[in-house]
Amino acid sequence: MYSNKYITVYTVIMTLIVSVILAFLVTGLKPYHDSSEAVFKKKDIMGAIADQIPSDLKSMPDDQILKLFTDKFEQVVLDANGQQVDGAMAEKVDMAAEEKKPEAERKYPVFVYNGDKGKVYLLSVRGNGLWDKIWGYIALGEDLNTVVGVSFGHVSETPGLGAEIKDNPNFPAQFKGKKIFQDGQYVSVAVVKGGAKNPDHEVDAISGATITSVGVSDMLQKGLKAYLPYIESLKTAN
Amino acid sequence: MELFNIFLKSAFIENMVLSYFLGMCSFLAVSKSVKTAIGLGAAVIFVLVLTIPINWVVSEMVLGPNGIFHTDLTFLRFILFIASIAASVQLVEMAVEKYSPALYNALGIFLPLITVNCAILGAALFMVAREYNFAESVVYGVGSGFGWALAIVAMAAIREKIRYSNIPAPLRGLGIAFILTGLMGLAFMSLMGINPATYFQQ
Amino acid sequence: MADANVKAAALEEKEPFFGKKERKALSDPLNDNNPITVQVLGICSALAVTTMVKPAFIMALSVIFVTAFSNLAIALLRKGIPKQIRMIVQLVVIAFLVTVVEQVLKAFNYETWKQLSVFIGLIITNCIVMGRLEAYAMANTPWRSFLDGIGNGAGYGVILLAVAVIRELFGRGSVAGFKIIGSTNEFLLNTSQISWLGWYQNNGLMVLPASAIFLIGIIIWLQRASNKKLVDVS
Repeated sequence: MYSNKYITVYTVIMTLIVSVILAFLVTGLKPYHDSSEAVFKKKDIMGAIADQIPSDLKSMPDDQILKLFTDKFEQVVLDANGQQVDGAMAEKVDMAAEEKKPEAERKYPVFVYNGDKGKVYLLSVRGNGLWDKIWGYIALGEDLNTVVGVSFGHVSETPGLGAEIKDNPNFPAQFKGKKIFQDGQYVSVAVVKGGAKNPDHEVDAISGATITSVGVSDMLQKGLKAYLPYIESLKTAN
Repeated sequence: MELFNIFLKSAFIENMVLSYFLGMCSFLAVSKSVKTAIGLGAAVIFVLVLTIPINWVVSEMVLGPNGIFHTDLTFLRFILFIASIAASVQLVEMAVEKYSPALYNALGIFLPLITVNCAILGAALFMVAREYNFAESVVYGVGSGFGWALAIVAMAAIREKIRYSNIPAPLRGLGIAFILTGLMGLAFMSLMGINPATYFQQ
Repeated sequence: MADANVKAAALEEKEPFFGKKERKALSDPLNDNNPITVQVLGICSALAVTTMVKPAFIMALSVIFVTAFSNLAIALLRKGIPKQIRMIVQLVVIAFLVTVVEQVLKAFNYETWKQLSVFIGLIITNCIVMGRLEAYAMANTPWRSFLDGIGNGAGYGVILLAVAVIRELFGRGSVAGFKIIGSTNEFLLNTSQISWLGWYQNNGLMVLPASAIFLIGIIIWLQRASNKKLVDVS
């Protein structure tokens, strides 16, 4: 049997060695963590307008993604009244954290892509799915009415059902060309069960995933509403 | 309301065993009789109720940027979590042995097993990933422990019955246990439309 | 005692570097003593990651790394570890290695790191790692333990990959992201145009967690049917 002293010394030495090695490792890897996180986030944003990006998003090297983002994307942050906040970076706005604040204090990020086919406005929305949060980026074309692309994400929707909003490329593809205004009135885009009838404002729901589909509808309706003052101000400015 | 929702979700819908396969090793090894299954189930509930709040405190007060060291020490999370689980299991074992020999006889042999039960560490990691606050994490601990115990007791009951069935020899024992677990998982999935939060909103 | 140690050391030196025992340590876990289907260890942490081949492959590599190096470390330390805190020492070594894996993965493959999320951490309580440390590394030489670790990690990885291939093929019609069955216009043949090639509809059961368990049950069944000595008599 070993003495208590031996055990104590053994434990202390082991703990020291392990934590020192780990601390060095983490410090060494920190720059890599930060850059891959940044690339991941930017890829996520660009995912909504993948077909407007000059080269294939999937095979694009990391430095090109970062370069494209700094060159072609403007960042705008809005407060709850739709006024621009000076000097704030949209990529620093964390939608999950904003959601917990009272409505009047929330900030909303906008990314403006200056592409070959004109400006694209990327708006961030967040809502509830069946199990947990869902979110998405909605890309509006230069007319600030036509949807040119969307991408969705989720925490834990059911694979094969609710998770199709992200996994099945056909679902986000349906949103392309939809309009969020009708005769100047805000109507958003709805996800409807049993076949979309209105070609401008409705898309087909995912069968078997009613609650997630309704969640997407709600998220768009409420999420885009927050951007309305901003959209109006841009329209009058033009 | 949110708390009740978390309980329901962790106990039934996102059941540790049946939808994440956590704690399968002991789930399969100890589900041969209902009596031992109840013992292990109780021990798991006990340990989860104890360790989830402890780990919440560890991750908020020690590891987080707002903790006592004011630095981001999350890379030490795995080591500290497993150490605090092992330590609390050890403490529970000693306390139970001293103050309640009857309970110790019932739970005793299972307690050391629990340190390496994935459900315990899994629940702790899920708790961090889902950013629960203290009250929520307590409820989450109770719920997932209850769900785990429910699953193992049900499984043991089925396996006791199935002993009299004529199963093909290569499938006997483990094979059929796996397939039963899968079927139970599917059955539990039918609870997934339940979302009390939206129900009470309407 | 010291005498016995010297003798044992001499015996070890005489044995070949990669002899029968070494080969057995490496190959046994692949079939006769497979950690998942025979020892029933380590099912916990990883079946939820088998919906697609890529994360399953990375998970398998991580587990091989952790089993191999934790076996090596414990075999090196085995004579100095105080018996009373043996479990904690083992757990700290495992947790340390898993943290290394997690940090490296986060730095160089962020997407997979996000996908695997908590399941990387759950390698710690993967019973295979702990089980091999107790059953093998505490009583064997470092080199042999290292091989045993690789063997067991690989035996685990084989099952993981088998399940992932079946689930991805039937659940999504692809393997490792490359479309095989079902309609697509991405590759050589545009199967969304040729109806008899694009007939396949994805099987929704295969993306649900329960299917992994069914598949393992079936793999066990097949293995035992062909390898009679494994049949459970009870």
